[in-house]
Amino acid sequence: MAILNEIFITPFVDMAEAPDFLMQVLWEGLVSGVLYALIALGFVLIYRSSRIFNFAQGIMVVFAALTLVGLHAMGVPAWISVALTLAVMFVLAVSIERVVLRPLVGQPDIILFMATIGITLFLIGLGEIIFGGENKVMITEELGIPTGDTVLEPFGGLLILQHLDITVVVVATVLVVGLLAFLNYTRMGRAIRALGDDHQAALSVGISLQTIWVLVWFIAGIIALVTGIAWGARAGVSFALEVIAYKALPVLMLGGLESITGAIVGGLMIGMLEKLFEIYWGQPLLGGNTETWFAFVLALVVLLFRPQGLFGERIIERV
Amino acid sequence: MTRFTRLAAAAALGALMGTTAMAQELFTPNLAYRTGPFAATGIPLMNGQADYMTMLNNRDGGIGGVKVNFEECETGYSTEKGVECYEKTKGKAIVTQPWSTGITLQVLPKSNVDEIPILAPGYGFSPMADGTVFQWAFNTPSSYWDGASMILQYLEQNGGLDGKKIAFLHLDHPYGKEPIPYLEQQAEEKGFEMVPIPVGLKEMQNQSAQWLQIRRERPDYVVMWGWGAMNAGAITEAVKTKFPMENMIGVWWAGHDADLKIVGEEGAGYKSISWSFPNPDAPVLADIQKHVVDEGLTQSNAEEMKGVFYNRGLVISMILAEGIRTAQEHFEEPEVSAEQLRWGLENLNITEARLDELGMTGMVPPFATSCADHTGHSGGWMTEWDGEKFVKVSDHLMPDSESIRPLEEAKAAEYAEANAPWPVNEECSATN
Repeated sequence: MAILNEIFITPFVDMAEAPDFLMQVLWEGLVSGVLYALIALGFVLIYRSSRIFNFAQGIMVVFAALTLVGLHAMGVPAWISVALTLAVMFVLAVSIERVVLRPLVGQPDIILFMATIGITLFLIGLGEIIFGGENKVMITEELGIPTGDTVLEPFGGLLILQHLDITVVVVATVLVVGLLAFLNYTRMGRAIRALGDDHQAALSVGISLQTIWVLVWFIAGIIALVTGIAWGARAGVSFALEVIAYKALPVLMLGGLESITGAIVGGLMIGMLEKLFEIYWGQPLLGGNTETWFAFVLALVVLLFRPQGLFGERIIERV
Repeated sequence: MTRFTRLAAAAALGALMGTTAMAQELFTPNLAYRTGPFAATGIPLMNGQADYMTMLNNRDGGIGGVKVNFEECETGYSTEKGVECYEKTKGKAIVTQPWSTGITLQVLPKSNVDEIPILAPGYGFSPMADGTVFQWAFNTPSSYWDGASMILQYLEQNGGLDGKKIAFLHLDHPYGKEPIPYLEQQAEEKGFEMVPIPVGLKEMQNQSAQWLQIRRERPDYVVMWGWGAMNAGAITEAVKTKFPMENMIGVWWAGHDADLKIVGEEGAGYKSISWSFPNPDAPVLADIQKHVVDEGLTQSNAEEMKGVFYNRGLVISMILAEGIRTAQEHFEEPEVSAEQLRWGLENLNITEARLDELGMTGMVPPFATSCADHTGHSGGWMTEWDGEKFVKVSDHLMPDSESIRPLEEAKAAEYAEANAPWPVNEECSATN
């Protein structure tokens, strides 16, 4: 009986007794969720347009952040460093399309996936040769990102909102909305969606595969830079940032690999649910560190009932 | 002479010359990690180690006239890759330096078979201190239980422990869990509550859940066993959640200058126990400047060379070099074997006078090892981040050997029993 009480009663009593703490938990979950959604979007865009699962998304986050910090360390002003980093990410997108993807057109998906593993290893080596493996400080202040906090006292308690986190949520939201507008209301955006829907049909009406691939890899590069700045401002810029991207995997499983809505909803759901579970169930009952596996278990449960994910397209193959 | 005979003669001569060339070196591989999520903390340590050995090679022609081959095998802090590196290098090695508690635990059972000393300064399995059971393993000069003991001692002297609550924030990895048996024992004895809070490898840079728990638990102190990106992540969250920095203490691997520079002055008051400390006036640094830096042979830089981790790397290589020198003098052989080096590491006597001779005064406390004590239990200092650098804020602290030794013996015996048949050094047991 005691265990049932611990599972079904105590957590909710705790939430009711300390609503300010619950708000803090939800806020922290929201911040994480927005960032997970952002990373997942990078995966989804590339998958939709080329059916490639981009294993290199994580290292692109590291590479973008290192380039930004490295350029600034060389004396380049902060915002010019941002512009130059975007230029580097564009060159990277063009290079990947020319050197890696174009020769592999028509190859099975698994070959393209393996190619992105190759890109990952290449970028790790290149990044380490150019920038070294040391932890570097993100140029948060130089970029004008606010670093203070706002302390609120809801229900007579305490709620700390970091200005950095508020900025991250706002910027990520703007980026996501901008991306949705781009995909829905521009010619290029519709071309990306058309490629995702039907490669052959899209090619037959003159949509350039090469141009679209460069574009989506560049957009993934922009997302990587924003993610790198957001996470780098929290704990420095190092190759450890790469593992953050793997947090997007259960988001993709949950939301569906092709769905932009799925990436957003999945990211927010996982961010908040894993935080709630960890604080109210994981730490008291399981010794903590449930965030490592909770999202995957949640995604697996969803897959049991919806193999295509919450928002993924149902694939029907005729034999 | 036929063509075949000429080839055979050439091959024989080549083999002979090769053997002669190979004999003129001491192969001391380092299972390093300059890549991966832990590279930021690994690089300065590896640089310090390599620079010290390069300095010995260039200044003195090696150790006892024999050059040191300080080859690195990259593990990325991965236990699997570490074991591969061990297998790859063990053929000629006179020592192995696993550089991770996980790799150390994997290599430990192999040491009795391969008969190669494991040198794990300040890390690894704490009961390795018991040299009667772990004949080939050395965690000189201080074990994790020593570190935990010194931290508790410092807290006891500065606010007390009875009735207090300590949040133990640790990496969810063999390294992070290592001090838990000792902390649990001490919690019972000294009357404090210990709340373990694990941090997963994927959560190192996003510890908001862990720090929400800390906010809920309201501990008096946070003791941290962090590594790599976890340290910067934790210190950033501590600042963010307004946890009093003066009540947060890390082990020596959580006292890296670069981690604290991310928060700068906001991290002032954060403490770290350490068995090594930089001494910018130490003559050894001048020698490294002359024989390594000026020759363009270092991978380090001026800023890094002032830091705690680079200087700890120097001390670690000094311990190995002193083990080799001790063995050379005892066996009167410049080219020592793995077994002879084991004897050397068991008979280290690093006195104040010896540290002066080595040009390393104040960089590590004096210590001595024996066949029964493979740690040396040097003690250390409490250091504090002043906003720009770490400074010493305590006198020389010594671990409480009365509480540690019985636990070391009990856990060592438990390990030997679980891994039976496990050879024990009876000779050492009888004489110590």
